[in-house]
Amino acid sequence: MLTTTLIILAVFIIAFLGFVVYDLATAKKRKEVYRVKSTLTAYLMLLPAVILAFLFIMLPILYSLGYAFTDYYLLKPNDINFIWFQNFVDFFKELATKGTLYNAIKNTLIFVVGVVPLQIGLALLLALFVNRPGFGSKIFKVCFFAPVVISLSVTSFLWLQILAPGEGGLLNALLGVFGIPPHDWLRDPKTAMPCIIILSAWQGCGYQMLIFLSGLSNIRKELYEAASLDGANWWRKFWLVTWPGLRSTFVYIIITVFIGACRILTQPMLMTGYQDQTVTLSYYMYQQGYTYRWVGYSSAVALLMTIFIGGITLIQRRVFREK
Amino acid sequence: MKKLLASIIAMILAIVAAFGMIACGGPSGDPDIDEDGNTVIKIMFHVDKTSVEGQAYLKRVNAFNLAHKEEKIKAQAIFKARTTGASGYETELINNQIEGTLADIVTFDAPNTAAYAKSGLFYDLSSLVSASEQEKFYSLNKYDGKLYGLPIQESSAGFFYNKKIFRAAGIYDMVQGYTAENPWTFDQFKEVCSRLKTHGTIPVDMRIDATKDEMAPYLLYPFIYAAGGSFTDATGYVATGYYNSAATKSGFQFIKDLIGAGYTSYAIGATDFFTEKVGMYLSSGWTIPDLDNKYRENFASRDDWGLLPYPKGTVAASATGSWSYAITNNHHPDKTNVIKLLNWMTSAESSKAITDATGMIPVRKDVNHGYAVGSPEYTLLKQLELTGKERPVTVAYPVFSTTFNQVIAGLGDGNLDTLLSTATTTLQNEMNRLQNMRG
Repeated sequence: MLTTTLIILAVFIIAFLGFVVYDLATAKKRKEVYRVKSTLTAYLMLLPAVILAFLFIMLPILYSLGYAFTDYYLLKPNDINFIWFQNFVDFFKELATKGTLYNAIKNTLIFVVGVVPLQIGLALLLALFVNRPGFGSKIFKVCFFAPVVISLSVTSFLWLQILAPGEGGLLNALLGVFGIPPHDWLRDPKTAMPCIIILSAWQGCGYQMLIFLSGLSNIRKELYEAASLDGANWWRKFWLVTWPGLRSTFVYIIITVFIGACRILTQPMLMTGYQDQTVTLSYYMYQQGYTYRWVGYSSAVALLMTIFIGGITLIQRRVFREK
Repeated sequence: MKKLLASIIAMILAIVAAFGMIACGGPSGDPDIDEDGNTVIKIMFHVDKTSVEGQAYLKRVNAFNLAHKEEKIKAQAIFKARTTGASGYETELINNQIEGTLADIVTFDAPNTAAYAKSGLFYDLSSLVSASEQEKFYSLNKYDGKLYGLPIQESSAGFFYNKKIFRAAGIYDMVQGYTAENPWTFDQFKEVCSRLKTHGTIPVDMRIDATKDEMAPYLLYPFIYAAGGSFTDATGYVATGYYNSAATKSGFQFIKDLIGAGYTSYAIGATDFFTEKVGMYLSSGWTIPDLDNKYRENFASRDDWGLLPYPKGTVAASATGSWSYAITNNHHPDKTNVIKLLNWMTSAESSKAITDATGMIPVRKDVNHGYAVGSPEYTLLKQLELTGKERPVTVAYPVFSTTFNQVIAGLGDGNLDTLLSTATTTLQNEMNRLQNMRG
């Protein structure tokens, strides 16, 4: 493994040096006022960050990419063999059986379709609400942002208390007041994933609210004044002024929320365990890699997931690009 | 300019050289010697150093060092607390193996024996531990006929019951005859549940909600064996015909019937037994200190609670299996001193000291446990001796554990045949995959 690391490191160093040399060599052509000494100093100062990025970002990605084509079993780290595309063949074979992998993909898609609009919609509503002057907006900002700073593990456990089955659960106790019998929210396949969607949207929307707020602050007030003079109501102002002004913010948010949603792992892991009604693709990948110890196969799943997320993100960028 | 370029190249070469030195300078096969000339043997534990259990291990390690001072052998205890289930500790083991820093002795959870042994992580102890010494243990960690580990302590489980509720329901005298030597039957178990339900108490917490980790498999697998069922064949590579057999189904059906009759449910809270809402509670020996010390307002003395064994179906079976010691196949080929430490840590004296701290059952038959006849501890020990049956020994154990949890979670409203068919297929596929693995 260390030999491989050294080879990758050597390639990286050569590429980095090549880039430095190319930069210097083409400087004259670009007619830049180029002082070699100060440029090299700049690259030297860049080097620590580049090394860290290489060690902690690039290297794990490269290893994961490489492992996807091997039979790496966690308990046999010194016996890794190259098996070409066998892991990908196994992936599609497993998918064809409509077993856990099929459920994982289905649940991930349900989660994404549910959580992306809900979380972004909630975030936008909250941002519009706290953006109004007065009305204790600062306190509300803090309150709405609070779930973001609490760890997902903690919020999951809090929601476990809320959704606990029987009369002991907070939600069931509340519904009991209205004569509704207790329900096992997280074990019932019909309600388990919706509960996780609601929890996730509640937990994450505070962060997007802040981004929307910064977007709102960039919209010029004169536009609203002009709209008012033209007799526009609240909805017309929102549709014709606010929404176009938030377009680039919205594109950023939809891409990041989508990527985050595709990677959902903690909530189902802590709230239901590895069950067919809530297993997600990331959870499947974790289970295969860590619990079942098939690192090679798990890496192949990760690679396919990355390709899928990357593809959808590109489509999103194309759909939402400025015309 | 030239100086600067030279310094960049020098720096890069230094980095490459440093990596190269690390690559070439892997751990040698020589024993580790400390500055005082002692041969150092490393032993890694899965608990926190400051815990009661951790302190018990540390005391025994210190006692070993004192006893072997003249021989210049020194044991060094490493504590890597298991914080996120066994897998976190396992990751540590694997990382150490990759880095070449694996300790000489490690602790491990018994169901992992097959997987660790097959992967070559553990050293074969068959020739190092004599047959007479092996006889002294209630259980051993064996795979493929070879010995790979010696247990630290043993565990067994049973039904803790609230004597006050049982007296009020008029069934206290009835259950007094149900002992480890003479366990109750499935039907008698249902009869007691029925009487408790009629009395207005939730009869039993079977822990069917504990399906996120190893708890449900550990506590509930004996019901399947008691019904005459099983999960795999003796090789651990065949599940079809075992996991989905009629006898196995009848074991799960017994639990499903309890749910259907309202004797147990997924909605029972974690503390409902301790707050006297539930009549019986399926748990392991670790509940004994809790009842003795933590819940005194409801259970002032042992007159208020007792322990009943597992009920039997066609046969009697009870839960076993705890953490064990293994010698690793690390970079030290000479195991002479390592076996001395293993013998010390598994001696009768160590077994007594550790189980006194943990409240678990000593794994050695020659330990003077001093349990009073009829006490909860005695019931667990006798049950272990007479009906203890280990969880399936298979390299695919993690998949078995997951599928078992999925069956239990689906018992409430799922179709049992479908659940068992899916579980069997999943486990069999994994077994085939592992059997076809190279090496």
